Amino acid sequence: MWNEIWFLVRMTLLTTFRKRKNLILYFGLPIAGVLVSTMLYGSQSSPDLRVGIVNEDAGKSVTSDTIRFVERLDHVKLVNTTREELKAKIAASDLDAGLIFEQGFADSVLQGKPGHIAIQSVKGASVTSYIKSMLYGYIGNVTAMGTIAAGDGGKFQQLYDSYQAGAFKLTSESVNDTSKTKEMSYQSIGFLIMFMMTSAVNLSQLILKNKENRTYFRVLASPVSSRTYVLSNVIVNLIVMIIQIAVALFFMTVVFGIDPGIPLDAMIFILGLFALVSVSISLVIVSFSKSTASANALQNLIVTPTCLLSGCFFPRSIMPETFRRISDFLPQNWVLESLGKLQAGDTLMNIGFNLVILLAFAVVFFLLATYKFGRNNDTRNFV
Amino acid sequence: MMNVLELRGLTKKFGDFFAVDNMSLQVREGEIFGFLGSNGAGKSTTINMVSSLLRPSGGEIRILDRDIAKHSRFAKMNLGIVPQDLAIYEDMTAFENVSFFAGLYGLRGSELKERVEEALEFVGLSDKAKSFPKNFSGGMKRRLNIACAIAHKPKLIIMDEPTVGIDPQSRNYILTSVRKLNETGCTIIYTSHYMEEVEEICSRIAIVDHGKIIAEGTKEQLKATITDVKDIRIGLKTLDGLEPALLQSIPGIRVLSVQQDEHAVRIQSDAAVDNLSKILKQLIDGGMEIRSVAEQAPTLETVFLTLTGRNLRD
Repeated sequence: MWNEIWFLVRMTLLTTFRKRKNLILYFGLPIAGVLVSTMLYGSQSSPDLRVGIVNEDAGKSVTSDTIRFVERLDHVKLVNTTREELKAKIAASDLDAGLIFEQGFADSVLQGKPGHIAIQSVKGASVTSYIKSMLYGYIGNVTAMGTIAAGDGGKFQQLYDSYQAGAFKLTSESVNDTSKTKEMSYQSIGFLIMFMMTSAVNLSQLILKNKENRTYFRVLASPVSSRTYVLSNVIVNLIVMIIQIAVALFFMTVVFGIDPGIPLDAMIFILGLFALVSVSISLVIVSFSKSTASANALQNLIVTPTCLLSGCFFPRSIMPETFRRISDFLPQNWVLESLGKLQAGDTLMNIGFNLVILLAFAVVFFLLATYKFGRNNDTRNFV
Repeated sequence: MMNVLELRGLTKKFGDFFAVDNMSLQVREGEIFGFLGSNGAGKSTTINMVSSLLRPSGGEIRILDRDIAKHSRFAKMNLGIVPQDLAIYEDMTAFENVSFFAGLYGLRGSELKERVEEALEFVGLSDKAKSFPKNFSGGMKRRLNIACAIAHKPKLIIMDEPTVGIDPQSRNYILTSVRKLNETGCTIIYTSHYMEEVEEICSRIAIVDHGKIIAEGTKEQLKATITDVKDIRIGLKTLDGLEPALLQSIPGIRVLSVQQDEHAVRIQSDAAVDNLSKILKQLIDGGMEIRSVAEQAPTLETVFLTLTGRNLRD
């Protein structure tokens, strides 16, 4: 039997992938899915904040040091301008915000009553809150020195110089924001899941195509049994999907450099399990269809909507509660949830329940397909 | 002589309908056996059961003296099927098609290649081995359909309408191939709607009707069974205004069939009843213009018509 299965698998793979169209369909589309995710989430990176500086308090060391402090902040780019130009540049979106140091700013700080400073923006708090929080902290420190000096210019200068030359050492460490790459990989897997399901149905449809061109019955009139024939189709399907997974993960991690935040072997294991579910669903679709046209219609009715509900195209969290409840009954959701849990630090052992549910989906669908195939007694017009 | 195929009380029921009803038959080694029946007679159901595509409701099928229910693999290894509708892959070359189907019978490597080349040579497609069937004519596709069934060298080949819808040249080629195959020791079961083909190549014939074998024997034996029937063919200028029911009421007429293409009426009548003048008078009174009248020697078609009451093409 294995000799026959291997022969059928080899012939099916050879005839399927001699067509360039199929190579693109089965392996090109998952890569395109990764690319689309990269573009979707890559364009969401935070750009520099462009801040216009109007310095009407020139010549004062406190004012120029404050401007330098702002300049050293991350993701802030300063542009010197005048009060007149500032409004026009903000209105034209050439600048995100403006900082006006009016005359007397340094003196007000020195006197412990900071004033003569204004922040302008049309975008409001979303832009100004970051600068405000950092800037007010700095001004607060300098104001405290002014309060201690109680109007004594020499004492203030002494305190201020020792503050600037402060011997304390601050070690800062940048923490990478991995949420974006995680979202990218999550979405890439979402697309991969849909392409895996579509490919599975397409490959299982070979059974229907061969029924339509009657070669299926010719095969069954040979020593090859229907069980052997369907098993060979399942194996072809699994081989294609494992290659799909490998290609998609290679492009995601190596070519596009997206770190999914999950060990690769765990990811391959979960997706491999989902490959079994996909094949079983595709067999159910084929067993309930009398022609490739009806299988295509069933595929459109089942695959795309369930992928949509499960969060393959956009996060499930933005969906209404009812839809989220429905997706609890969909295998795609369990795969994505498993990957989400692994990204959050869980291990494969921790998500055992999810894996059992996925396996159960595969078993139930395989049994349903087997039952339906067993009841199909269609010899069509073979002879 | 050994029976290559034997049916013993073969029955197939679909609900209350008996598609094949207690059919018994023997096909001997080296025969070209004609299996005739009009549409729905039970021919295809029988062949599907012999091919193991349908499970019988009752009875037994033996191939090379072994029950196929118990020796399915052995039976399939010795059976080649040439289906009526083409069963080939359009996206595989001729060589790959034959290679694929021969491979299902366990042939591999150089033996497979040799058999495939032999089969393509046999059907005259050697020079088209690397071509795709989508570029083939109807006759070439039919020949490839045959090559796919013979590469594994089966002992019994079932050919179902292998010449349907093809040009006379391809038809002659196929008929010659069938004879050649038979000469190499192959037993062939041949079904066709072309009675002249069956008369030409079959050594023995069975006529199936309503799921039963109603006659079986050589063509001479079958023709000899209808000595009490005369076969009259009346050519008419046109069939407009013909009222078959009036003719049918004339005493002695058993079967009447209208041949639309040939503008003729064919009548099987009791040989003992002299009714030709009544038939002609009825036609003339009905305003029909008679072109020719001929009493024919019984043919297989006459036998079929007499036994089943229908044309083979019905």
